[in-house]
Amino acid sequence: MKRLVFCLFWFTSLTLSAQKEYSISGYVKEFTNGEALFGVNIIVDGDKGTTTNDYGFFSISLKEGTHNVVVSYLGFETLEQEVVLNADTKLNFKMIEESNALDEVVVTTNTTTRNIKSTEMSVATLKTSTIKKLPTGLGEVDVLKSIQLLPGVSSVSEGSSGFNVRGGSADQNLVLLDDATIFNASHLLGFFSVFNADAVKSVKLYKGGIPANFGGRLSSVLDIKQREGNVKEFEGELGIGLISSRALIQGPIGKGNKEEGKGSYLLAGRRSYLDVFSPLLEDLDDTKLYFYDVNLKVNYNLNENNKLFLSGYFGQDKFAIKNIFGNTYGNGSATLRYTSVLNDKLFFQASAIYSDYAYEVDVLTSGSEFKWSSNIVNYNFKPRLNWYISSGNTLKTGADFTYYNFNPGKISAINNSSTSPQQFQKKYALESAPYVDFEHKVSDKLSFQYGLRWSNFQRLGNETVSIYENGTPLSYNPTLDLFDENNVVSEVAYDSGDVIESFNNLEPRASARFLWNETTSLKASYNKTYQYLHLISNSTSATPLDIWAPSGPYLKPQSSDQFALGYFKTLKNNAYDFSVEAYYKDLNDVTDFVDGADLLFQEQIETQVVQGNGRAYGMEFQLNKNSGKLTGWLSYTLARTERKIQGINNNTFYPANNDQLHEVSLVGLYKLNKRWDLGANFIYGSGKPVTYPTGKFVQNGLVVPDYEGRNGNRLPAFHRLDLSATLNPKEGKNGTWIFSLANAYNRQNAATIYFRERVDEINNIDIPSGQTEASKFSFLGIVPSVTYQFKF
Amino acid sequence: MKAIIKTVQRITYLCLSIMILSCETDVTNDIDLKQSPPKLIINGGLERNSKSPLKSQQFQLTTTNDFLSKDPNPFVSDAQVSVTDGTTNYIFDYSGDGIYINDELEPTTGSTYTVTIKWNGEVYEGSDTLNEVAPFDRFFAEFQEETVFSDEGYTLKCDTTDPANVDNYYYYRVYRNGEFVIKPDPGNSQILITSDEFFDGQKRIGAEINGEVTFKVGDVATGQQLAISEGYFDYLFELFTQTGNTGISFGGNPPPATIRSNVINMTNPSNRAVGYFYTVDVAEDKLTITDE
Repeated sequence: MKRLVFCLFWFTSLTLSAQKEYSISGYVKEFTNGEALFGVNIIVDGDKGTTTNDYGFFSISLKEGTHNVVVSYLGFETLEQEVVLNADTKLNFKMIEESNALDEVVVTTNTTTRNIKSTEMSVATLKTSTIKKLPTGLGEVDVLKSIQLLPGVSSVSEGSSGFNVRGGSADQNLVLLDDATIFNASHLLGFFSVFNADAVKSVKLYKGGIPANFGGRLSSVLDIKQREGNVKEFEGELGIGLISSRALIQGPIGKGNKEEGKGSYLLAGRRSYLDVFSPLLEDLDDTKLYFYDVNLKVNYNLNENNKLFLSGYFGQDKFAIKNIFGNTYGNGSATLRYTSVLNDKLFFQASAIYSDYAYEVDVLTSGSEFKWSSNIVNYNFKPRLNWYISSGNTLKTGADFTYYNFNPGKISAINNSSTSPQQFQKKYALESAPYVDFEHKVSDKLSFQYGLRWSNFQRLGNETVSIYENGTPLSYNPTLDLFDENNVVSEVAYDSGDVIESFNNLEPRASARFLWNETTSLKASYNKTYQYLHLISNSTSATPLDIWAPSGPYLKPQSSDQFALGYFKTLKNNAYDFSVEAYYKDLNDVTDFVDGADLLFQEQIETQVVQGNGRAYGMEFQLNKNSGKLTGWLSYTLARTERKIQGINNNTFYPANNDQLHEVSLVGLYKLNKRWDLGANFIYGSGKPVTYPTGKFVQNGLVVPDYEGRNGNRLPAFHRLDLSATLNPKEGKNGTWIFSLANAYNRQNAATIYFRERVDEINNIDIPSGQTEASKFSFLGIVPSVTYQFKF
Repeated sequence: MKAIIKTVQRITYLCLSIMILSCETDVTNDIDLKQSPPKLIINGGLERNSKSPLKSQQFQLTTTNDFLSKDPNPFVSDAQVSVTDGTTNYIFDYSGDGIYINDELEPTTGSTYTVTIKWNGEVYEGSDTLNEVAPFDRFFAEFQEETVFSDEGYTLKCDTTDPANVDNYYYYRVYRNGEFVIKPDPGNSQILITSDEFFDGQKRIGAEINGEVTFKVGDVATGQQLAISEGYFDYLFELFTQTGNTGISFGGNPPPATIRSNVINMTNPSNRAVGYFYTVDVAEDKLTITDE
């Protein structure tokens, strides 16, 4: 630690003591609507460079004299400018999208040059314009399903928005919407994601080499930024689909200079109406089933250097069957952010965030009506400072503070029923993590990014903690190879503010890039991550079984060490690029269920899960075609994910639920002519592990399956093809038609295969036959859909 | 409460699966299951029934076979079986079809019984304690309209008083015209067994005795309330959960695992037995369904 700090200062002073330098700083924006562009390359004199930050801001220090500045961003026309530098200079750029100018060039998917020159690796960026051209599952453009087409990312199950990154489980993804943590990113039991593509500006996924400013989850960071709104003029969009419809308005706020407002706003909403069809199905009459969500973003320029942003998201799912059942769940979040250019080299931002994930079930069976509700509220404060020390050297520092309030469950009577109310103990925690991250360019060929994050997690009172016999909730019985639950012998009460348990961990992060030549680079990275919250569930969607359990006296934080190596190459003048990455992850204290675990209304979760080790390793290959009429990519992932936990499979490594040896994605977007865009994607994945019975026996007149071990079998391989066609409007017109065909050859992929005793009906009476059968359950055969959208 | 939620989940997934265009295919002939070596199965236990006392005590020993096999479990005919209450040792003799029988043992409440099985050179042991059951204060049938869970018809009900200040666990069995009725169903884990957690010491009026089984006029309906041990309750809960699996595992169900038997292989613990050696006290009544 000491040594690292010393190094930082050494490098810093080294670069500062160089010749007389001045800075060029400013913002890069989109010409048509004034939205900030981030990740834009600013190349000076062909060899020095920087990129814009999340707010479109850049700063670069250069020697006195005349410089050639090139501003390039894939999909936009490149800008070039001569600058005579003899003082610190402010320079703003406005970029025009290429597709508006040149019809034959299609907006592309990746920022190629950046891939080669940046120290970042294991990172994937998808632009909303790409996501919108991809075929959709059920006619809904879906951000999370699009990232599942990238190497190293797989779907939890077919059609699900849940995803696994490099062998990580679905709860190990940090999903951020404008810096706010989204705990459940799914609508309709996982079939749709909560992100409205209309309101989303960009999606960036870190599979590895996670910079020190992110933390709290083991496997990945999905950083989603909302659009800011048009600062020039009012604009509206309407989309009508079979499953949902959506609307968006945006426009300037206040009077700024001649053509731009002082700020802008964007408001987008969606609502699904699947339940409109429910009366068609006799059994499901009087059924409610829908989701809606609202995205809001407002930004306001206090003056040239100071800006305020407000962004909010609110979404909910409702499902109800008249007089039987009601269910509501959803996320809500609000972010208030302030950014300030302190001087030419210092950029400051601070965000205050509130986020709430709530789940509610109403059981309306007469006589015992009750409501079950649970939620997680968290308050974050994230101050950050970027210091653009010199060309190629940037220091980023800041801290994340999060206060959690977990309400694991509350039962209350409704409709005057006699149900006795019950409140599971609330849990409180504070997570604090200061960090420092340094980008250091040693030479044109070699650059580093290294950082350190110090995370501290405190479980706080008010809470009464159970003390177990033998000091532990579960004792391992080696003779029978199983865990015995221990009894609670006493309790310790902690007052509000008392620290029940505290964890301190250092998370070093580092990556290096070696530029072999102008078209080839080699990269390596290491990151250590800690996760203090555990999702105790293997579901793919929200259910009352979803329990986020904070680390504490009986649940240790999980941790991961990831090493990755990569080879990056561009071909034919950036028309193609190719990459290979290999990774190895060492996981500690990951959780799995004890045999026969029962989670429903379980307050003592520690008695149902065990912790152990895991490992994940693999290789990812990706070939992108970036320009021409046909663009897209081909990717292949070869991977293994295993766990080793006492009491499971004789304490040997066994495949984790999301282990998938092979995965192939082929994505193609074809610009047929001025009006037609065609898209196709094909996915193949080898079977995921499942546990099939190894024998049968009879008990109480029922045939019972017997099992040996966990995850010893595999589901059949999975593959499907999705197609889409977009009919763009004629010049001067506004309507766009999007046709899609999901699962084009109607493949019945197995969601599960299950085993049961066959029941025969004899004289209207169900009689168990004593005979057994295996049954395959599949979702989503071939599904055509159409969406119409227009601007006003 | 747990019960209701499970049911609700079942409906939820059912509805969603219909809406989201799901499809079910029989793949019995496409699946190759790994066969594990046969294990000893114990099926049955000791039953005390003061209303219609049993002439003898018996249970069955068989071995496991392939899950998708069409053959029943093979019988075990060469085991040496005995049960002790701590003072007397009762020998169970083989009487064919895997059944071992003894006509001297009269189970008494409060006693702990241990079964010892010597088979294939290995010794298995397991025990259970017999708890006294509360009688039916009233036993009757009531007509019920069709519901989501059951057809229209008569269902059995009772009034019964739970003994106060002791943990009681109940298991309900019904017989139609003398024949035991049960089917694999997700509802079993909630309606066939219950603990007195929420009604300790109270008189329950009109408690259902397996409300999913309906009777027609003319049927002879027998209902039983069994007092079972906590261990057997936990075992049955897992058993009914697994046999009632509807296959749609949105629900974050823990992975399936063998249900641990109370009969332990003392010679070689890893070659475990399956099934439960239970001891139960039975309250029983029967009636003929009439047209009120």
